[in-house]
Amino acid sequence: MADITFDGVSKVFGDDIRAVDNLSLHVADGEFMVLVGPSGCGKTTALRMLAGLEEITSGTLSIGGVVVNDVLPKDRDVAMVFQNYALYPHMTVAQNMGFALKIRGESKAEVQRKVSEAATILRLTDYLERRPKALSGGQRQRVAMGRAIVRNPQAFLMDEPLSNLDAQLRVEMRLEIARIQRLLNVATVYVTHDQIEAMTMGDRVAVMRGGVLQQVATPQFLYDHPANEFVAGFMGSPPMNLLRAHLESGAGESTLVFGRQRVAVPSGYDRTHALPTESGSDVVFGIRPEDVEIVTEAGTVGAISTRVERREALGAEILVHLSLVDADGTSAITIDDNGAVVLRPTVLVAKMGPRADVKVGDALSVRFNPERFHFFDAGSGQSLRQI
Amino acid sequence: MILFVAMLLVAIVMLYPFWVMIYNSLMTEAQFLAGKGFSLGSWKALTSVIPVGQEVLSSTIICTASILIILLIGLPAGFAFAKLRFRLSTVVFLAIVSAMMVPLQAILMPEFVNVTKLGLTSGYVGAVLVYSALGTPFSVFLFTTYFRGVPDELIEAGIVDGLGYFGVLWRLVLPIAVPAIATVTVLQFIQIWDDLLVGLLFIQNTSERPITVGLAVLSAGRTTSIPQLMAGSFISAVPAMLVYLGFQRYLVKGLTMGIDR
Repeated sequence: MADITFDGVSKVFGDDIRAVDNLSLHVADGEFMVLVGPSGCGKTTALRMLAGLEEITSGTLSIGGVVVNDVLPKDRDVAMVFQNYALYPHMTVAQNMGFALKIRGESKAEVQRKVSEAATILRLTDYLERRPKALSGGQRQRVAMGRAIVRNPQAFLMDEPLSNLDAQLRVEMRLEIARIQRLLNVATVYVTHDQIEAMTMGDRVAVMRGGVLQQVATPQFLYDHPANEFVAGFMGSPPMNLLRAHLESGAGESTLVFGRQRVAVPSGYDRTHALPTESGSDVVFGIRPEDVEIVTEAGTVGAISTRVERREALGAEILVHLSLVDADGTSAITIDDNGAVVLRPTVLVAKMGPRADVKVGDALSVRFNPERFHFFDAGSGQSLRQI
Repeated sequence: MILFVAMLLVAIVMLYPFWVMIYNSLMTEAQFLAGKGFSLGSWKALTSVIPVGQEVLSSTIICTASILIILLIGLPAGFAFAKLRFRLSTVVFLAIVSAMMVPLQAILMPEFVNVTKLGLTSGYVGAVLVYSALGTPFSVFLFTTYFRGVPDELIEAGIVDGLGYFGVLWRLVLPIAVPAIATVTVLQFIQIWDDLLVGLLFIQNTSERPITVGLAVLSAGRTTSIPQLMAGSFISAVPAMLVYLGFQRYLVKGLTMGIDR
């Protein structure tokens, strides 16, 4: 077992396609690190460089303190679980799991013992003599895991291993993989574009975009304190509401201005955040959907007027899409599928209880949880949080 | 019903030559001219006119050796073109594949000169080399197409598990390439087994000539015994039929690979 260190690692395809740009990341021994980001963000390329399947253009990559830039994949002692499982179709489950050990020259008895142990952990004992085509998606996924764990490698590398499973099985396997990883306590790098997997499985999560690492932190820290508006807009389902606003300051207090609507910034944010001092400066204001609350009492301080545009009942909760009355036309920021930041009409999403009495077209007064405001620089998109 | 009748007609058209061969071979020359009678005389006479056993053995040796060489070159080449990234791979691949378009007759003379200069016209080596050269482009093309359908992840899994490229080819890719191997084997076998020209030119020793040359000799005399020729033709046709029947379940899969995705 070992730790993994990316030190300024870059990968350039052709002359100018920079898939991974100066990635520095440390995965501690036994840690479950999730690389997450939209398609094309470089997460899979980073994993493939770690496996030795892609050459490193610059920087150093170490496993267990040993630089492995020029080490062949077979000599890196890492095991990889692929998106499509990549099981050998002509071999049985037992042969698939024991193949790497057989190549390594381990005795038949030893291979059998290790395969049997792994099969017990993965609940595959009854399927050892079956071929992959006779297995369900979940069973194939477990065989792919088994093939990795029998080797007792220094690190597990997993490339979107759950993306081919249906929703229910994905939840089961999410727990299963996390359980096995904790049981074996091997450094694991897990690539996914699914932020729910990232939030639920990782000890820490590294968010990538356009080949650049955006933030590395525990899932809860990422959720609570995103480093920039991309992370804020990517993590969370539905993502954080991001609204462009003017910040008016004077007489020791600040106010967010959305068109003709105004929201007072609670005191204290000027100490924890580097808010613009010049009155009228642009700022990006962020608020999580669960921090948008309906106001029933008239005249509540900080309440703003909205109109219900759409209502999505999910059973346990309702997602209500609200447009701000008298706000600027396009000031809501969203992150599209390619990770690009785009402006949309001023709509924010609120998460409400399943019995909330809201209908499309209703006029609603809402307030934002004063303890959960987020501020980002309107130009760079970086969080203005200082501590 | 229409399909059944159509297939029945196709079957009759296909099987009729075999019926003609068998029926006419079971007569003597006189019976054949009279149009009636039954005898095994032509079969007995055939073995005294040409060394059928030796010729079938020669054809078998030539076919087996040529197909082995074609597979030994075609498999790794196809794997490399399909899965490895190297400079000018597309150009080299197109150059090899374009060789499929060159007819044998166009290169026969230079090939004959080269093989003769190398002293390879006695024995099987010259013919085997010519057949291998003619069959390799097609096998490279077929294997490349087939291996393009093999997921990259399967190969990468093998590499991470500790195999080199030859290990991956031998232990992972080959076992799943049976339909492609069968297709190349059957098509090349039929082509080489039935070929007359190369055998006639590149095998000079009478004792090493293949069955097709033997049959040509049989019909080259002043008079030709049709029943004997039919018997020889039937013997010649049987191995190709057996190879086809043995591999036919892979053949369709092998020929349609790459177009059913």
